[in-house]
Amino acid sequence: MPAIEVQRQMLPLLNSPNQGARFYNPDLPETEPFVPGHRTCAGCGPSIQYRMTSKASGDNTILVGPTGCMYVANSSYLCTPYNVPWAHTQIGSAGSFTAGVAAAYEAMIRKGKWKGAYPNIICEAGDGSASDIGLASISGALYRNHDCLIICYDNEQYANTGIQASSRTPYGGMTTFSPPGPMIPEAKKLFPKDLARMMAAGHPHCYVATASVGYPIDLMNKVRKGLNHKGAAYLMVYTPCQKGFVYETPRSIDLGRLVVECGLYPMWEWNPEQREFDYSFRPASMRPVSEYLKLQGRFGHLQAEHIATLQRFANQQWHMMGVELPEPLIRAADAKNLAAMASAEAAAVVAQTV
Amino acid sequence: MSTQGTHIPDWLQVPFAGITPAPSQKGQDLFPTGNWRAIRPVYRDKMPPCNNGCGANEKIQGYLDLVKRGKYLDAYALIKEDMPFPSITGRVCYHPCEQACNRGQHDEAISIRAVERFLGDFGQALPRDVVRAGPPNGKKIAVVGSGPAGHSAAYQLARLGYEVTILEKSPKAGGLNRGGIPDWVLPRDVLDREIERLVELGITIKTNTEVGKDVTWDDLKRNYDACVLAVGLTEPNSVRAEGEDKNGVLYGLPFLRDIGMGTSRVTLGPRVVVIGGGNTAIDCAREAFRQGAQEVTMITVEGNAGEMPCVPEDLHDMLEEGVELLHERAMTAVLGNGKVEALQLHPARFSGAINASPIAVDRAAPAERFAADTVIIAVGQHASLKWLPDQFKTERGTIRVDRFGRLGETNVFAAGDIVQAGSGQPLMVVNAVGDGKRVAFNLDKVLSAEPLQPRTIPLDVVTDLGRMNMTYFPHFPRVQQALLPPTSRRRTQDEVIQAFTEEQAVEEANRCFSCGTCNACDNCYLVCPEPCIVRSVRSNGLYKILVDYCKGCRVCIEECPTGCLEGVPELDFDTGVVRMDTAFAITQGLHGRQAEELRRVADQAAKDIEHWR
Repeated sequence: MPAIEVQRQMLPLLNSPNQGARFYNPDLPETEPFVPGHRTCAGCGPSIQYRMTSKASGDNTILVGPTGCMYVANSSYLCTPYNVPWAHTQIGSAGSFTAGVAAAYEAMIRKGKWKGAYPNIICEAGDGSASDIGLASISGALYRNHDCLIICYDNEQYANTGIQASSRTPYGGMTTFSPPGPMIPEAKKLFPKDLARMMAAGHPHCYVATASVGYPIDLMNKVRKGLNHKGAAYLMVYTPCQKGFVYETPRSIDLGRLVVECGLYPMWEWNPEQREFDYSFRPASMRPVSEYLKLQGRFGHLQAEHIATLQRFANQQWHMMGVELPEPLIRAADAKNLAAMASAEAAAVVAQTV
Repeated sequence: MSTQGTHIPDWLQVPFAGITPAPSQKGQDLFPTGNWRAIRPVYRDKMPPCNNGCGANEKIQGYLDLVKRGKYLDAYALIKEDMPFPSITGRVCYHPCEQACNRGQHDEAISIRAVERFLGDFGQALPRDVVRAGPPNGKKIAVVGSGPAGHSAAYQLARLGYEVTILEKSPKAGGLNRGGIPDWVLPRDVLDREIERLVELGITIKTNTEVGKDVTWDDLKRNYDACVLAVGLTEPNSVRAEGEDKNGVLYGLPFLRDIGMGTSRVTLGPRVVVIGGGNTAIDCAREAFRQGAQEVTMITVEGNAGEMPCVPEDLHDMLEEGVELLHERAMTAVLGNGKVEALQLHPARFSGAINASPIAVDRAAPAERFAADTVIIAVGQHASLKWLPDQFKTERGTIRVDRFGRLGETNVFAAGDIVQAGSGQPLMVVNAVGDGKRVAFNLDKVLSAEPLQPRTIPLDVVTDLGRMNMTYFPHFPRVQQALLPPTSRRRTQDEVIQAFTEEQAVEEANRCFSCGTCNACDNCYLVCPEPCIVRSVRSNGLYKILVDYCKGCRVCIEECPTGCLEGVPELDFDTGVVRMDTAFAITQGLHGRQAEELRRVADQAAKDIEHWR
């Protein structure tokens, strides 16, 4: 059988036009695959991620939306905000559906039924789908190396059903499944599943990266790298959820920056050719985790020892990145040096009485 | 979600606290995105602190933004709106803009003056200036004095189409620019070129013409439709010491003026003393070295160098060149037989808190003898207004004007130091230029019978750092202007401060925050979750918010690096007062197009608003 020449889009990376101290975003693609008029909450992080991702991928894109916020809130009453082909699938079948789309295009190109460039096939799974319910099917799609990009927009809980804990919910995060109380004052005892590293370790032939809405150009470039990578790619994006995290809506982007600066969301890329992690991303500054926690109502109950636990967790992440810890962060990992969230004592009383 | 068991801080209660009114049909019509938007983002260009701090209200942020993009000609044209001679102020200005610069609180202020000088030199190299005289309206104006205020007034009047004649008593035009500023700060050829530009605008300059001698007050009123008096402060103050008439006693401004006009016949002795601690005194001390002095000492009443009423950078440069300072002394007598041999000094201090207060000399203390060959007295100037009718003079010896810069009900205006002296406003070139500009516009209004504007402009909202998002601006050091080394520069007339190269100017302009003004950075466009911020072309201020889709999350406001976007409450939910009118009214500037669209929406909704509940 003669080799089939597949025409690939090969999207160029965005270069910063900034010289010196200037702040000026690069010229962005003109396409608008994601348009206004949807029903996400004000300040929705996944929606910001969706807009940036789709803008980076362009018009020749096929979106797959397994059940999650970006399906439930966006596509009610037969209306969607997508200007490109989009299809819903069950929450558990994100990977298999995406694999099917990719395989179909590969077959159509092989049979000469699809002329033109291979489309960007993107699956936008929430962390519920990607880390719990649909984990197996996504792992299968990555394992079989279908040419697609699977994005986990990580809002750290099941949000559209009313804020339930997922395996990505951080230690100490309050949800309706993990309320703080006299028995479990820190609300959630378990640490989140390290999903992206799991995907990188288990599927080393794939391009895997983590990103955050706080760094839009970096996020868009990682999307393009994932799409340009021949084979499967996986991207995990931090997307704050205003209802679940309980923060002021204007802070959406700010939280995306803070979570990286606090070391709770290490940014890295897995290089499938070299088979090694690239930890070269460095935020502008390093901060103690309390600066991130205090902006969110879901951490309002934390006592000093819980914050210290989270700081130790963050310090381990910095260590993993090969960053030398400054003295203040080492001190912040000791509960003696910390105060509870401003209201923790008062909250404990409330918890005792209900 | 139930938030039982955890504590939600007060400031996070807002989305849940029930401020959202119950949905109604009318509410839905008014806000198609639902009733949850309490605050609407509105683009509104605000006053950057540099523009506000500048005496001439140059559009500094505007031209820095153009320099960033390499549009030097546009930047030069923008600066010429307010400033006739950027090449001069780029060298001599005491830069109140840089003191006001928000970047000064972040790392270091932008070197605005150096960029202005770069643009000024760029403009001087052009074969033809970018501004032209307006269509002639047949009216004749006399401008008395060709210093900064007169130059500025004449320039603006010529642009308005008047036939302007400048009357200058000195043999060369330039006023304080020529006679008060030494060559090593402002080279002669730069000033001459700016005067040429003025002549190219069709302005007649009559030198050696002094009002009160060659032209009388009545001549002025008879021969011209209107007149601007910008005569400045020409007569040096004395310190009222004994023996001030001795040979070897000089006064600061005439000393510099004679050198500037090329009519100086002064030879300095080896030991020079300068009396005074202001900017003119500093210029005199530094000029003394260049005129051959071996030792220069500056004697001031101020207790230390920090209290001296001068620009710290100039003071630093002066000390580098080797001038000695002697504080808390006043000269009470000049000793010597016909010529200066020594000075008699007494301890002294200011009797009040500020430098302008009377000096208390402690004559009971033993007098000091300070050997000197020449003494230059530079303790300020006053006006010479013998020719002016008394009714227009103030008790300070300056011209009495109303707040429009006008002398009573006449067609005569006054501008510059002659008006500002003693008003509390610092006397500097850029303030005189601004005054000349505003007076020129008022004169135009009087002659065309339109209402007048006060000399001081009304304050807009000045952007402070709190409005801006500093995470987008990493610390970055200021680009320094090169200086000649102190040992070599103190004997030559070469310019001490070196110009920026093009790369340096762009790098320095890149440090500008564009406080409070849209600079098309695209950030709001990128971070909107809807996305309901649209633009057809990427250009300053051409962004538009599709308000029908905006949910009021305010991410764009928070993430706007420059603070151009601001939140405006839609409704006051306590009183039911609809504030939308205010929200639309404040939209102005470059975003007028959006404002117009929003205004129409309000008109359509008005009948619903009356029956809101």
